Amino acid sequence: MNLAADISIAWPEIFVAVTAMLLLIFGVFQGNQSARLISWLTVGVMFIAAVLVLSSHSGRTVAFNDLFVVDAFANFAKVLLLLGAALTLILAMPFNAREGIPQFEFPVLVLFAVLGMMMMVSANDLISLYLGIELQSLSLYVLAAIRRDALRSAEAGLKYFVLGALSSGILLYGMSLVYGFAGSTGFDNLAAVFAAGDHDGAPIGVIVGLVFIIAGLAFKVSAVPFHMWTPDVYEGAPTPITAFFAVAPKIAAMALFVRVMLEPFGDLFEQWQQVIWFISLASMTLGAFAAINQTNIKRLMAYSSIGHMGFVLVGLAAGNETGAQGVLLYLTVYLFMNVGTFACILAMRRQGRMVEDIDQLAGLSRTSPKMALALAIFMFSMAGIPPLAGFFGKYYVFLAAIQAELYTLAVVGLLASVVSAFYYLRIVKLMYFDEPLDAFDQPVGKEISTIVIGTSAVTALFILVLWPVLGSAAIAAATLFAV
Amino acid sequence: MNQLLLEYLPILIFLGLAIGLSAVMVTASFIVGPNNPDVEKNSSYECGFEPFDDARMKFDVRFYLVAILFIIFDLEVAFLFPWAISLGDIGVFGFWSMVVFLGILTVGFVYEWRKGALEWE
Amino acid sequence: MFTATIFLPLIGAIIAGFVGSRLGNRFAQLVTVLPMLASAILACVILYTVGFEGQGETVHLFTWIDVGTLEISWALRFDTLTAVMVFVVTVVSAMVHVYSIGYMSHDPHIPRFMAYLSLFTFFMLALVTADNFVQMFFGWEGVGLCSYLLIGFWFEKPTANAAAIKAFVVNRVGDFGFLLGILGVFFAFGSLDFDTVFAAVPGVADQSFNFLGADVHMLTTVCLLLFIGAMGKSAQIGLHTWLPDAMEGPTPVSALIHAATMVTAGVFMVVRLSPMFEFAPVALTVIVFVGGTTAFFAATIGLTQWDIKRVIAYSTCSQLGYMFFAVGVGAYPAAIFHLMTHAFFKALLFLGSGSVIHGMHDEQDMRRMGGLFPKMKVTGTLMWIGSLALAGVPVLAGFWSKDIILESAFAAHTGMGLYAFWAGIAAALMTAFYSWRLLFLTFHGKTRADNHTFEGVHESPPIMIAPLLVLALGAIFSGYLAKEFFVGDGMEAFWGTSILMLHNVIEDAHHAPKWVAQLPTVMAAIGIAGAWLMYMLRPSWPGKLAALIRPVYQFVFSKWYFDELYDMMFIRPSFYLGRGLWKSGDGAVIDGVGPDGIAAATRDIAGRAGRMQSGYLYHYAFAMLIGIVLFASWFLFGFFQ
Repeated sequence: MNLAADISIAWPEIFVAVTAMLLLIFGVFQGNQSARLISWLTVGVMFIAAVLVLSSHSGRTVAFNDLFVVDAFANFAKVLLLLGAALTLILAMPFNAREGIPQFEFPVLVLFAVLGMMMMVSANDLISLYLGIELQSLSLYVLAAIRRDALRSAEAGLKYFVLGALSSGILLYGMSLVYGFAGSTGFDNLAAVFAAGDHDGAPIGVIVGLVFIIAGLAFKVSAVPFHMWTPDVYEGAPTPITAFFAVAPKIAAMALFVRVMLEPFGDLFEQWQQVIWFISLASMTLGAFAAINQTNIKRLMAYSSIGHMGFVLVGLAAGNETGAQGVLLYLTVYLFMNVGTFACILAMRRQGRMVEDIDQLAGLSRTSPKMALALAIFMFSMAGIPPLAGFFGKYYVFLAAIQAELYTLAVVGLLASVVSAFYYLRIVKLMYFDEPLDAFDQPVGKEISTIVIGTSAVTALFILVLWPVLGSAAIAAATLFAV
Repeated sequence: MNQLLLEYLPILIFLGLAIGLSAVMVTASFIVGPNNPDVEKNSSYECGFEPFDDARMKFDVRFYLVAILFIIFDLEVAFLFPWAISLGDIGVFGFWSMVVFLGILTVGFVYEWRKGALEWE
Repeated sequence: MFTATIFLPLIGAIIAGFVGSRLGNRFAQLVTVLPMLASAILACVILYTVGFEGQGETVHLFTWIDVGTLEISWALRFDTLTAVMVFVVTVVSAMVHVYSIGYMSHDPHIPRFMAYLSLFTFFMLALVTADNFVQMFFGWEGVGLCSYLLIGFWFEKPTANAAAIKAFVVNRVGDFGFLLGILGVFFAFGSLDFDTVFAAVPGVADQSFNFLGADVHMLTTVCLLLFIGAMGKSAQIGLHTWLPDAMEGPTPVSALIHAATMVTAGVFMVVRLSPMFEFAPVALTVIVFVGGTTAFFAATIGLTQWDIKRVIAYSTCSQLGYMFFAVGVGAYPAAIFHLMTHAFFKALLFLGSGSVIHGMHDEQDMRRMGGLFPKMKVTGTLMWIGSLALAGVPVLAGFWSKDIILESAFAAHTGMGLYAFWAGIAAALMTAFYSWRLLFLTFHGKTRADNHTFEGVHESPPIMIAPLLVLALGAIFSGYLAKEFFVGDGMEAFWGTSILMLHNVIEDAHHAPKWVAQLPTVMAAIGIAGAWLMYMLRPSWPGKLAALIRPVYQFVFSKWYFDELYDMMFIRPSFYLGRGLWKSGDGAVIDGVGPDGIAAATRDIAGRAGRMQSGYLYHYAFAMLIGIVLFASWFLFGFFQ
């Protein structure tokens, strides 16, 4: 065992952990007036971590007694989630200053959550997986409830915590069953056990354990029927937190989900495919239908993200390399669309107060045409209209589904995306064809406008970066199947 | 008497001693100590709970804070026991792992101290 | 030269159509008329080089469709038949273009009208130069479209719109047959190229295919289907009802489309496909029957109509019947000969009647005309010439062509040929009668117009008279000049390979008995005399005669009740069916289940999905646990299988 080698492999995580603790100490001595500084420092830490991730060599390496793995897949996901977290943190700064969330713990908690996510995507053992999930989840619980004086925020935090604890319990129970029947918690060992097992199927305990693990992970990606917390938490949590919830944890959990299903349980594909198939189908359908009647844009985004996760799971259900590639591409696209949309939502302020009602967007094209255009781009992209980014995401997961002969899933997916176009386009219609209300507060702030411009440009012109992204996603996806 | 049960003999002795000793102490205090009960003396003590009443009542959240902070360090100590016993087997790596763990715990401790979580008022 | 002839009208149409309204009426007229005239001059040259010097060729423009075994190219096939058609179409069209400058001078939509006319000409040329069935169908549909647009040109008139729709729908029935015929050709020959198909015809002449258990002769079926298309376009009995109504369009349109060119497309098509029809004798017999019946039937109706244009329209219908039975007995050159002469004199008659209508300020009813000759000497004279040509008075154009047709029918020595011969003779009598009825009612006798109108009657301007003169020349001389080449001794050299005749019936026709050749002329004389008697000498007789044979008169006057019959058989049931399908079918079922239903169901599901989100933590937890239980059961169920 070479400690120095292990540390060098996990260097980005160690860096984040150490700086997070230093920032915590720094903050607690400086008080809340240092929140802004710490926020920027956190963004810097994330940036450096992303650089460290990118500079690590791309082959698959394991560390700490096979508890921890670094490969192209993990790196891809880490870069995405670091980017998502950094962008949402930047969005949060003006909001926090204005809306009375002065705590310096905010960025530190985000950083701890990010550390947990990085652990998740690099987990190579059920135990390290669980540790990562818990570190992430505990930070998120606190973040959801960070506005202690707001009833909805507290309610959101509590609901999230109780249900999250339940799902963690389910996950843990599943892991113990798998450990009990397969005799190991390491992914590599599990894969070897299942590969060597007879082809009549795994022991029944493993099957039940697998169901529990899937349920626990499905909760984290808010897939139907483990999605119920999502709308309430999204609505209740402060908007920048919601933006953070919608992006980074989803990316991390989905990457983890894909790795767990394809690496240790890859040989049980026939068994779990049916369940993933159902979860995906149900998520796409519910995400499409339930969003229609929503009046609160954050709730709408919650259902939208449930639907998007359903689409991503199509790629997982396909279970092939194209599918994994499609998942990563979709997550990339999802990141930009969602960050951009939430940036627009954060700009929805009238006389100094946040408004969250969809109807308030009426006539936006006349009061602030640029923002209306950006939001329209995001909505069209989410609806999957070519040549915007969302189209390519959907295209590649459906391509994988067709290759895997999951025709029902592909057809239902297309229909669901038609239904979901209903509410995406309704927003566009509101902005462009309805009588304008009073203008939103101007200016929206440097941070928001920069991010809106950047993300909308990426969303609109995604086709220009499609091939590089697709190429790295392909390399990343290949590592999952190389083992 | 077979070998297996013989191994448990020290425990039995230990149990007997404990029961005997505590019985002596309770009896002694009952005999020796003065006994003047009044309302104040019979009411609930310290934590503020009525022992035999509806559990749904308001109470100070600081009790929980203290309890949770206690549990963290309690578990830390519980974690130290197996570490201390197996230190010979896990070597330097094991030693430094625990140091890191304690370091992290210390960061938390510093944080809660600075936040004033340890002060009652 | 070939390409330019075809595409000059299209260029004119595009320019006039898209920018004409911005650059003014004069510009639109110039930009359509000049290319049209150029095209007509080129067509004369083409007729000379192709027809007389035999320099026909096929100009390959580009490959249009290349799918599997089906390859269709866009090519201009120039043989004598095409050259004749191109000549007729461009010359008549050019005259009509010029005439329209005067006739439409007060219309607010001149550029649109000129563009439509030129566009029509282009499509017609595309039709006649087609090298394959698909290109022909393209032209076929194109002229149908332009016909629709031009009939409904005065779109503010409800009757014009109704007539346009009627023309479109009735033609659709024929086009459906045509399309099925084309598909049949592809089915039978595996190609849609004329040359390939024609070469393969003798090989499949005896083949049959199985349809609903019965063996059907393939070539006959295909030819009959194609003929249904021709019937629709050429207004043969059964599918003729649109043609009289089409007179709602401006008169130049009637002259160009509904007399000279488009309606003859059916005749042209059958002649063009003579290598196919020659091997389908049953189909030819049907054509003879339909042609003969139409010739007779349309002539009877023409006797009774009061609208000046409708009389000529039924006359057209009748003359087309002549052409078809000529085709049916195998006298293809005679049919084309009559097609050409008819184009001249019928266009002349239409434009002349247009001149009358113009002079009478849009009066079309002959009962309110009469005695116009002194005021419209030129028009009257030209109308006389046209009528003489139509009636087949010797030396004029119609005489030569009608005679050769009737002789051919007689000489065919078949039962059906004789039927057509006698129907044609009867029709010739009636043709002369109604033509002079028209002339007498319009130009002679005492006027029945009110004073004010009569005062205002005037001769048309030179720009309208000039084309009439050109057409009159054609009506007088074309028959005499062309007979040698079309149906005379120079026939075979002239037509070359463009027409296939297994048996030269024209040759037989020249040896028909003397009385056969003289009978039409005699009939014409009797008809003219009868008309003179009835409408000049004893004007009260027609009314008495009509009262005497009241049921017959009523039957004929009501156009044999075709419109009523169709109304009862097709239109009402389809309206009833349409309304039923709309209300209960589309409204209740398609909309109800489809768009509306889906939208309603979507909202319903959305509502339900929303209600599931109760906000209670234990509901959420319960849903999760139910999910786990279900998945575990599913897994175990699958596991134990």
